[in-house]
Amino acid sequence: MIKENNIKLIFLSLSLLLIILIFFFPFFWIITSSFKSPEEIIATSTTIIPRSFTLEHYNKILFNSDFFIYLKNSLIVSFSSMIISIILSVSAAYGLHKLKFYGNKFVEYSLLVTYAFPGVILLVPIYLLFAKVNLLNSYFALIVVNVLFATPFAVWMLKAFFKLIPNEIEEAAYIDGASRYIVISRIIVPLAAPGIASVAIFCFIISWTEYLFASILISGDDLKTLPVGLAGIVGQYQIDWGFLLSGAVLASLPVILLFIFIGKYFVSGLTEGAVK
Amino acid sequence: MKKNNIEGWLFVSPLVIWISLIILVPIYIAFELSLFNVKIIGTSGKFVGIDNYIKLIGKSKFLNASLNSFYWIIGNAICQTFFAFTIALTINYKFPGKKIMANWIILSFIIPTVVVVVIWKLMLSSSSGVINSVLIDIGLLDEATGFFSSPNKAFISLVLINSWRWSPFLALIILSGLNSINREMYDASKVDGANFVQQFLFITFPNLKSVLFVLGLVGTLLSFNIFDIIWLITKGGPSSATTTLPLLIYETAFTKFRISQAATLSIVTSFLLLLFSIIFIKSMAPKEDD
Repeated sequence: MIKENNIKLIFLSLSLLLIILIFFFPFFWIITSSFKSPEEIIATSTTIIPRSFTLEHYNKILFNSDFFIYLKNSLIVSFSSMIISIILSVSAAYGLHKLKFYGNKFVEYSLLVTYAFPGVILLVPIYLLFAKVNLLNSYFALIVVNVLFATPFAVWMLKAFFKLIPNEIEEAAYIDGASRYIVISRIIVPLAAPGIASVAIFCFIISWTEYLFASILISGDDLKTLPVGLAGIVGQYQIDWGFLLSGAVLASLPVILLFIFIGKYFVSGLTEGAVK
Repeated sequence: MKKNNIEGWLFVSPLVIWISLIILVPIYIAFELSLFNVKIIGTSGKFVGIDNYIKLIGKSKFLNASLNSFYWIIGNAICQTFFAFTIALTINYKFPGKKIMANWIILSFIIPTVVVVVIWKLMLSSSSGVINSVLIDIGLLDEATGFFSSPNKAFISLVLINSWRWSPFLALIILSGLNSINREMYDASKVDGANFVQQFLFITFPNLKSVLFVLGLVGTLLSFNIFDIIWLITKGGPSSATTTLPLLIYETAFTKFRISQAATLSIVTSFLLLLFSIIFIKSMAPKEDD
């Protein structure tokens, strides 16, 4: 008995070490590197503990680049996409969960397939379509696409959260004469709030990280999002690593901040609610 | 249960209409384009019927990209299954710091892909990358190697980077499956003398069926769909070794300006993926028992 426990302990420690090394160390690395002097970043002998400390890269990106324009664009696009996605998917998830209707299984599986629908297949025709209806170079173009990518999985997750709400609560409300609208807005939404919060984060992340469509549908510098702006630096022949690293850290900061506040709902939502 | 046809459709229709419009109209446009020979966007071409399709089948570029996509899906499936199960089974144990770890393991998934690219371009750099210097220090390498310089190394590096991004997210979904397994089953099996491996094979794995079904379907399609990580690191090279179908479509349309060819590629690819999805759902979908 003790022997088996020891083996388990060794395995656990080993895999923990491995996980920390593989999944957490890279973050330590780019964050510390973004404060290193340019010479130390590209030095051939690597130092785990930084020898130099400088704010010059942050100085440059904050006060000498288009960072704030890209940030503003990313925030506008991501928040709008998130709100529209939530409204559409709460409604759809409720319909699929509560109201059995002709074709509901078909809608459900179609949604699952569209979640993974390869966006790149749509790239060329969407570009042409948006060119025709004059949507190129607009926030709305990106919002339309982001909602498409975020909602299918959002519905899938929300359905699982709705399932956790006991049927009796809802039925009691109907007996008291409440309408469907009252039941949804006063009972379902508040009770599923943690679930909805985690789905909201998911939608935000999907839009925040989207690169492909943002790079094709937007050509004006004043409307570019952060990932596209950053990719512009990655593509340069002589990469200014300090500049790029500080940009990468800053571009991750908003999602990380959001995650600090509501991240635990996201993770517990995924681990306790989803896909049951 | 009684059916609520009208109300049910009322609730789902806003989303269904949004999604259908944004998927079906473009697919119709793509199909139309595939029957013409339009080159640069905005110009008109002449009607060529199914010529584009016939030409496509014999193209070595198309075969190469299809094979690459196939290897890409298999490689990612193996790596991600391994990483995701390791993470999920580890986090499922009790240890100090478990909560923090469970919350933050998903960091690699919530940051923009471009940042993932920046991280690994720096870490795997051949001149100053930390991975190279560590590998040299512990004696695994004699001199710094270029992780993206040869076709095989580039492909494997990209599979690992992409798995790094996705595994934690998949791990959390697997965890949700693990949480739903009745603890008593493990206790009962212990009484019967089952060891750790047997428990995994006969309790954990079968009970994860519905989770694994979703992951198998969605994961395959999502892996297929990966574009930005590959494009931003290798641009499909060296010598087209990392050009998967999404990259080929992008290249054909936006760097070679063969719009009709790209549309044809898109139609053929959607057809293949649809076929895969239908077969997968028909043969693997778990029976509904709720």
